[in-house]
Amino acid sequence: MATEVFMPKLSMTMETGTILQWFKQEGDEVEEGDLLLEVMTDKINIEVEAYASGTLLKTYYEENAVVPVQAIIGYIGNEGENVPDAAPPVEGASEAPAPVALEEETEETAEAATEYQANGEKVRATPAAKRLAKDKNVSLQEVSGRGANGRIHKVDVEEFVKSGPKATPLAKKVAAGNGVDLACVQGTGANGKITKGDVLGAGSTQQVAAPTSEPRRVKMDGMRKVIADRMCQSAYTAPHVTMGTEVDMTNAIQVRNALLPIIEKETGYRLSYTEIIMKAVAYALRKHPEINVSLEGDYIVYKNEINTGLAVSVPNGLLVPVVKNADQKGLAALTAECKELGRAARESKLLPANMQGGTFTISNVGMYEVDMFTPIINQPESAILGVGRIAEKAIGVNGELKLRPMMTLSLSFDHRIIDGSPAAAFLQTVKRSLEEPYQLLV
Amino acid sequence: MREITYLEAVREAMSQEMRINEDVFIMGEDIGVYGGAFGVTRGMIEEFGPERVRITPISEAAIAGASVGAAMTGMRPIMELQFSDFITIAMDQLVNQAAKNRYMFGGKGKVPMVVRTPSGSGTGAAAQHTQSLEAWVAHVPGLKVVQPSTAYDAKGLLKAAMDDDNPVVFYEHKLLYKASGEVPEEQYSIPLGVADVKREGTDVTIVATAIMVHKALEAAAELEKEGISVEVIDPRTLVPLDTETIIKSVKKTGKCIVVHEAVKFGGFGGEIASIIAESEAFDYLDAPIRRLGALWIPMPYHPEMEKAAIPQVPDIIQAVKDTVAFR
Repeated sequence: MATEVFMPKLSMTMETGTILQWFKQEGDEVEEGDLLLEVMTDKINIEVEAYASGTLLKTYYEENAVVPVQAIIGYIGNEGENVPDAAPPVEGASEAPAPVALEEETEETAEAATEYQANGEKVRATPAAKRLAKDKNVSLQEVSGRGANGRIHKVDVEEFVKSGPKATPLAKKVAAGNGVDLACVQGTGANGKITKGDVLGAGSTQQVAAPTSEPRRVKMDGMRKVIADRMCQSAYTAPHVTMGTEVDMTNAIQVRNALLPIIEKETGYRLSYTEIIMKAVAYALRKHPEINVSLEGDYIVYKNEINTGLAVSVPNGLLVPVVKNADQKGLAALTAECKELGRAARESKLLPANMQGGTFTISNVGMYEVDMFTPIINQPESAILGVGRIAEKAIGVNGELKLRPMMTLSLSFDHRIIDGSPAAAFLQTVKRSLEEPYQLLV
Repeated sequence: MREITYLEAVREAMSQEMRINEDVFIMGEDIGVYGGAFGVTRGMIEEFGPERVRITPISEAAIAGASVGAAMTGMRPIMELQFSDFITIAMDQLVNQAAKNRYMFGGKGKVPMVVRTPSGSGTGAAAQHTQSLEAWVAHVPGLKVVQPSTAYDAKGLLKAAMDDDNPVVFYEHKLLYKASGEVPEEQYSIPLGVADVKREGTDVTIVATAIMVHKALEAAAELEKEGISVEVIDPRTLVPLDTETIIKSVKKTGKCIVVHEAVKFGGFGGEIASIIAESEAFDYLDAPIRRLGALWIPMPYHPEMEKAAIPQVPDIIQAVKDTVAFR
C-alpha cells in the first residue's frame, strides 16, 4: 500500500503552501528522511522530508503550485503499485472545503493549480486574458496584471508573450542567484521554456547581454508580495505617528566595550548595540505596558509576554524573527539568540515558530549613514522602533559644547490605540536606560 | 432630405397610416384641439375628426381597457398616455389582458394596439412625471417595447408597431420631441428587434437607449479626441432585443458599458449585461461590464438635482476611461 505525501501544515495559520521545488522526481528511490521537496508558506521556505521509504510513484503538482494543507501531493510506495491518476480530494473536507479543482480530472487540476498566486489568492484575470493565456500556453501566475487589484487583462498576456524568455520558477531562482541573464539562455523545455538545466549550462558561457531599451520587469515572488500586502495593510489601516529622540550613547558604548569579551567568551558571539537596545526596549515595555498592545476588533489586548522582533534584511526582502520574553533574558542570551536567528533568516531556515508572537519590532539601520526614518508598524503589533547610526555630534553639556556619540531613535506607533503622551514616555524610558544603562540592572 | 422633429415624425407616422388604414384610430386625454400633453396630435382632430381622434375621460385604465377591446374586435387602436408614469394605472389591462389574450385564446384573437407614451426626465416635472419604467413592461411576455432615439427611427418604428398584431409599448422621450433629423416623406418601416450601430468604434461598446444614445454619441466624440474609439449601439427595441448585434460588438471591443436613464438598480441594463455575460462574448470580455443609470431615488424636482440623478456626458466619459484604463 503506497503512502501518501501530504502538503504539511507547518503553522497554526497555514492554509496553503507553495511547492518551490521537488528534490526527487517521479520514479526516484526515496529513503525515509530524505529531502523530498521545498515548500514556501507565508514568508519562509521549508524543506520537507520523506516519512516513508520506497519509490516516489507520483507527484500531482508542478513547482510553484499552491496547494491546501493536508492535500495529497504525491505517493511513495513499491514500484508498479497503483495510485490515483489525479490528486485525491482533501480528507476531512467538512472542516475546510477542498477547492473544487481537486476533485476534477488531472488536467483540470493542473490548470486550476496555476490559477492561484503564490500568496494563495486566486489569480484575477478577465475572460479575454484567460482565453489568450490558454491559447498561448501561458501560466497566468507569471503574468503581472495592470488592472484593479492586479487583474490581468488581455494586453498583459500579450506583453508577457512578447517579453520573451519563459522560464520555470526554479530556473529564474537559479538564474537570479548565479547572475545569469535569461535572455541569453536557450530554453529546452516545453515551448522553449527555460529550465534549471539550461541556466546551469549557460552559466559558464554567459556573455554580457546587449543593453535593451525595455525595462526589466520582475514578477513579485511570494515574500515580496506578502511584504507588499502587509505594508499596505498596516500603512492604510493604522494611523502612524513617528516621534524621534537623540540618545547620548557614551555610557552604552562603555557597557558594550566592557561586556564584549565576556559575552564572546561565554557564547562565541559578539555583543552588538542591537542587543543592548533590545534590552532597553524590553525594560521600557515592562514599564509601559500600554505600548505592548494589539488591536483585536474592538478590544485592546495587553500582551503578557514581551517578544521583540528584529528586522533582518535578506537578499530578496526582509524577515522579522522574534526573540521571546526578551525582558527575562540577559545580554549574553539575547546576543546568542539574535545572532542565531539572524543567520537562520539569511539562510532561509527560520521556522514558523521563530516568526510568530512578536509584540514589538526593532528595525536597526545603524550600519548605514542614516539618522532617522519613519518605520511602518509590523501588524498586529502597535509600535516599532527605528534605530539610526551612532555619530559624533556637538551637543550642549552643562553650558559647554561637547562632541558626543549620538544615536537617533524613531518610534512609530498606532495612534488608534496609543496616544502621543504614553508613546513619548516610553521613548524617554528607552533613551534614559541607554544613557544610564546601569538602570537595566535594577 | 428634409429635416423634421421627432414629434413631427411621430405625428406623421400616425397620420399617414390613418389616411390609408380605416382601422387605425387614436385615444387619449386632451388629444383633440389641445393636441395632447406635448402637442403630438395637434391638428389631427381637424383632419380625422372626433370619431378617430377620441378624447377620453381621465382614466388610463379605461383607455387601456377600451383599446384592448377595440383591438380584439378588429380595430388597430393607438392609445396615448400623457406621461408614461401613469402606465401604472393601465397596468392590469396591459399585463393581464393585452399581453395574455392572444395566448390564452389559442391565437384565435389578437391584440394589435400601440401604447404611445412620453417618458424620461429633464423637464423639471418631478418624481411622478419623469420616470422611465420600461423595464416593468419589458418583463412581461406578450408586450413589445420600443424606445426610439431619433426622428427617423421614431417614424419607422411606429409604422412597424402599428403593423404588429401584438401590443407594443412605444416610449417617446420628452426631451427628444424637439430633436430634428432627416426623415423620408414616404412611409417606411423599421423592423422591431433590429439594433442600430449609431457609431462604429473598436475600443469600447456603449449600449445606450433613448436619450442616452445622444449622450453616448457626445461622449464618443469627446473621447475620440483622446484616441479612444467608442462604438455606440442603440437597441431601439428592448423587446424583441437584438442580442446578436450587441454580442458581435462586445466580441470586437472586449469592453462594454450599458447606459440608460432608468434607475440602474433593477433596470434593463442588468438584462443586457447578463445576456452578454451568458453569451459567447464572455470569453472576449477584457474588463468588467459597467452600467450607468439613474440613482436609486425618486427623481428630484430641482433641475440641478434632476441632472445629477441621471447619467450625464461626463459620467459616460469617465466610465469609458475607467474601463479602458482597467480601473
